[in-house]
Amino acid sequence: MLADRPPFEDLYRDYLGRIYAYIRSQVATAADAEDITAQVFMNAYQAYARFEARNTTPAAWLFRIARNATLDHFRAHGRRERLRRTIEHQPQAEEDPAGEAEERIQYRALLGHVARLPERQRDAISLRHSGLSFEEVGTLMSCSEDAAKMLYHRALKALKDSVQKEGV
Amino acid sequence: MSEPEDELDLQALQRQLDDAFETTRPRTGFEDDLWLRMQSRRPFTSRLSDALAGLVQGIRAVPAVPLASVAAVLVVLIGVGILNLSGLGRGGAANSSAPLALSGGATRSAAGPVGSFGQLPSPVFSPTGVGQGPASSQTAPAPSAASYEGPVALTWTGRLDVSIGTAPVFRYSEPSTDSADQFAASLGAALERRPAGLLGLYTASDYTLTVRGTIQVPAQEPAYFILTASSLPGVSAAGAQPADIAEIFLAEHSLAPQWPYTTTVDGPADQLKVHFQREFDAPGYGPAYLVDGGGNRYGMEVDLNGSRPVLASGPLPLSLDSASYPIITADQAVRAALASAPSPAADAVAPVKVELTSAELVYTLVAAGDHSFYEPAFLFSGSFQVDGVQYVKRVLVPALDPSQRS
Repeated sequence: MLADRPPFEDLYRDYLGRIYAYIRSQVATAADAEDITAQVFMNAYQAYARFEARNTTPAAWLFRIARNATLDHFRAHGRRERLRRTIEHQPQAEEDPAGEAEERIQYRALLGHVARLPERQRDAISLRHSGLSFEEVGTLMSCSEDAAKMLYHRALKALKDSVQKEGV
Repeated sequence: MSEPEDELDLQALQRQLDDAFETTRPRTGFEDDLWLRMQSRRPFTSRLSDALAGLVQGIRAVPAVPLASVAAVLVVLIGVGILNLSGLGRGGAANSSAPLALSGGATRSAAGPVGSFGQLPSPVFSPTGVGQGPASSQTAPAPSAASYEGPVALTWTGRLDVSIGTAPVFRYSEPSTDSADQFAASLGAALERRPAGLLGLYTASDYTLTVRGTIQVPAQEPAYFILTASSLPGVSAAGAQPADIAEIFLAEHSLAPQWPYTTTVDGPADQLKVHFQREFDAPGYGPAYLVDGGGNRYGMEVDLNGSRPVLASGPLPLSLDSASYPIITADQAVRAALASAPSPAADAVAPVKVELTSAELVYTLVAAGDHSFYEPAFLFSGSFQVDGVQYVKRVLVPALDPSQRS
């Protein structure tokens, strides 16, 4: 194994939560998010031998796999299903044990608003708040770092409008 | 709204987003569950990837037919048995020790009176009694090519010598969380939590231990899974072969199999898997392998990354009671095996003619609530070719006399 390539196990421990959160912000249910997350890491595990750290960061590499897997998920379920899922993306109280902090439900509602943004805006928000730099976001979205920043800020304003309009 | 206020709102929203993404995490246990799945499938998928040059993308159980298409490649990847002393690892303590209150999986008593467990439940095998086993980290590859799932017409050309009229059935009681805690404590691991569906999740200085109870379908006995920390150093033993490394690791953690076994090794060089294939002793017959519903031998496994154990899994050590039960004759077993191939539909493709050439007594798990059983069965197999590809057909036939069934 190359010296600049960390053990996959470290990558897994470091990024599982962030990848899950990114996917969870895109899809309607926790079950779908788990399925896609599992697929991402299964694929990454198989492909890790071909990962070259000098070409990209582990984060960007994993998020690229996650982004593609999420897109595949939407393709597999069709546009109608995607719309239905997006519309139904609501906080699910049953996923939280009784007494769970209310703010977590609010956060889930906030992610519901993210999920209803146009695709590129949603991606920009999700990737950025999953911990990627604007350079990495730009690379993943096939645009420059500056374009990624602009896209992100437009997305943030659109999200604010959505939240103010419907509340969280 | 003024521009400064607008900016403040956006900053507040960014903080909320940071918190939302930071606190959105998968359910408890998902991380360990997924890692175990990845570890258990890695060598298998590696072989497929090598054979199919990246064409296989699935993460779920790989369908049997694509698997069969690369059987000719797979067949050469099955490891060579690494044998102890007389050629068979005997576990050393199957007849003599009970290191834990759980008795280390040793048989607690000699076979009791005939039929003393009463009527027994019937085993559930893979469709038509053949096939690739369930995708379990406890499932070892059988020493043959991939299974064939298409229609077949079976004939028997082998010889089945079974002179015994009875064979022992082994029974265990479903372990409780206390049993799991006791097992973990004996290893020096402390309870962390009890995720849904598991008896417990435990941590020790250099590994995480997961213990679960019996799975009904496909039947799997109570098992433990040890996922080592990346900080765990490799096993240092000059000249040690992979099986030696696995045995040393298990011995260091008081996990050496307490039952007879045969050791095999498979997988690519950097992802070796050492299998300790469990055997049961059938008086008058000899050792009989434990197989899953697809006829695959299994027992305990250790995944190695070089000299570093990554994952160890095996049956939870449990006390076994035994009782003798009458079994069917060899002729009856052969007739049952030949009758297992369903009659093809009128519009179906012509069945492939398959000669079953070998048969052996094996044991299979029958999960049944509070008590589950290891019951004898006959495993028939035969190799054949279709379009130049090597396949193997396996047929499992329950060995217990039908009068003993509930």
